[in-house]
Amino acid sequence: MQVAVSKRLQRSPQHIRSLFERFGIYIFLAILIVTASLVSPNFLKPQNLKDILNQSAALGMVAIGQTFVILIGGGGLDLSVASVMSTVAVIMAHNTEGQNSLFIPVMGVCLLFGIIVGFINGTLITKRKVQPFMATLGMMIIVQGIRFLYTKGMPKGEFPPIQRYLATGDIGSVPTSIISLAVMVIIALFVLRKTTFGRKVYAIGGNVNTARLCGYNIDFTIISVYMISGFMASIAGLYLAGWIGISDNWVGKGYELDSIAAVVMGGTTFEGGRGGVLGTIVGVLIVMMLYNIVLLLGMPVQMQFVVKGVVIILATSFYASFRRTQT
Amino acid sequence: MKKTVTIIVAAVFLLTTMVFAPMAMAKPFPRSWLWNSTALQMMDTSKFAKKGPYVVGFSNASISNSWRVFFERQVRYGYELNKDQIKRYYVTDANDKPDKQIADVEDLLAKGVDVLILSAATMAALDPVARRTMRRGIPVICVDRRVTSDESFVSFITSSNVAQGRAQMLWLAEMLGGRGNIVMLGGIAGSGPAEERRSGGEEILSAFPNVKVLDFQYANWSPAEGKRIMKALIQTHGRKINGIWGDGLQTSGAMEAMKEAGMKVPITGDHLNAFLVRAQDWGFPAMSIDFPVSMGTDSVEIALKVLRGEPVPHIYEVPRTVVCTQDTENIKTDMPWSRMAHKDWPDEAWNNTLPKNLLPY
Repeated sequence: MQVAVSKRLQRSPQHIRSLFERFGIYIFLAILIVTASLVSPNFLKPQNLKDILNQSAALGMVAIGQTFVILIGGGGLDLSVASVMSTVAVIMAHNTEGQNSLFIPVMGVCLLFGIIVGFINGTLITKRKVQPFMATLGMMIIVQGIRFLYTKGMPKGEFPPIQRYLATGDIGSVPTSIISLAVMVIIALFVLRKTTFGRKVYAIGGNVNTARLCGYNIDFTIISVYMISGFMASIAGLYLAGWIGISDNWVGKGYELDSIAAVVMGGTTFEGGRGGVLGTIVGVLIVMMLYNIVLLLGMPVQMQFVVKGVVIILATSFYASFRRTQT
Repeated sequence: MKKTVTIIVAAVFLLTTMVFAPMAMAKPFPRSWLWNSTALQMMDTSKFAKKGPYVVGFSNASISNSWRVFFERQVRYGYELNKDQIKRYYVTDANDKPDKQIADVEDLLAKGVDVLILSAATMAALDPVARRTMRRGIPVICVDRRVTSDESFVSFITSSNVAQGRAQMLWLAEMLGGRGNIVMLGGIAGSGPAEERRSGGEEILSAFPNVKVLDFQYANWSPAEGKRIMKALIQTHGRKINGIWGDGLQTSGAMEAMKEAGMKVPITGDHLNAFLVRAQDWGFPAMSIDFPVSMGTDSVEIALKVLRGEPVPHIYEVPRTVVCTQDTENIKTDMPWSRMAHKDWPDEAWNNTLPKNLLPY
């Protein structure tokens, strides 16, 4: 079937293939929304759509950072994001004890923590030539251990009301978390498309040797994207913790793989240099909608893993077909 | 006359003291025995008897959640209470990995433990090593989670998960007057406690044909999953939901989702402080039954009895505490809800018997 699809694509004009590659994920999202609204009338209820958006915020934030890391190429990915999310959540609850007045300084500590983890990841990858998978896996375990030492396995404290408002409140009828996510998406788009740094990320991901010949500081850029990923994971952790409302040792559990799935579904390739944040956000919405639809249809919650796995495989084989035909 | 009265009073006092003092000093009857569902099978442990002080080894499955953290502290508390009889206490953590736990047990045996306390990561995988330990003449005491075969341990200290599921469902069904729609939020699919609690709940449902289950979902004992799933269930079933059956951490998340939707229905859970405090603060009709962390301390007491050669029950059911915001015909609260909900405790704290210096917060 894969071969048949490839042959059909080879016959189609180049620009149509290109359009499909660029917009295929949006078409899939539209089909998903139409299908979901047909099979479950509850899907289009305003509150349900608001819930999906609200729940997408934290995954969207962490996936933005993951997009930078995967775009840089060289097998880049960040497995430590979930550990960072959980750790900043317990740092916030422990140190604020629910007081608004301490929110900003403790948030500063949390963001710094994420940036430091990212810096260590980036340094290990660039200076010690450790594979990104192993470097970030190692950091994931180390950060988890530090968290358990810090909490003695028992997180305590509460989240400040302002954090809870930012994660669960509304401005008008729009969830505050979605406004925050939108701001972050705009900033990420600006950085990737309009700044020299963004062009360097695409250039290094596209061809690291060419980028080096162009005089780009490869190591600095790679370390920077991992720091961005750590920073975004910290913000995502604080949002998710605020949404749940309970200081838990496993707040971000599973978000490392979900964020990678969303980025890849959104069209960013593991080879690097292709893709972007908008596709990632669509990937995030697809992940969360699939989750929602499974529950609305009364299917066992485990079905979401089956559905999600099938969609990831379909999406990657879809992109692979286009890319093969273009080479 | 005065002298005679003094002598009589003194004699009465002496007699009273002689009669009642032994009663006052007697150990309280082990209430846990009341909870055993079958006739007690007492184990002859004379072959394990040896002179102290002893070396005690505890192989723990993990401290991956707050219940297990408190439970591990309770085992340590058992050691602290009996330091005069225990010369060394070793504890290992298998990170929920059966292969690591097998190696942990081998390490403890190499260290020369006199008794092995085991909370098994999985029943089947740890069974052979537990059996080998028994064959070497070292008694195995299972706690919280057992190994497969009865021959692989001397005593298993536990609390019935089936009974927990039954009690939770009975309260919920009676709260609804035997008529209504409920959703069930389970733990981790396939895990022993989650499945046993679910089956206990469903047994009770068979006696209440007008209580309908709108949906059953596994929420992984996670507050985040509980909230996420409940949000979707609210969209699907809305105000048709009359009650929520849950058995663990997920119910605190589910309660938050209900609160955000402006719905307040009867809900069941266990003694996680977040659940207890929020139910009280938000005015949810609620029932909670614990899976006591204190069984950790009990396991040390039983281990020492075995080493002294005293008979012990093969299955040792620890008592449960039930609290309800509202009693039903068959489920009554053991104490006021407010005594169990501690506002000054962390959200993830569990009801425990620990002294302050051993509390993990």
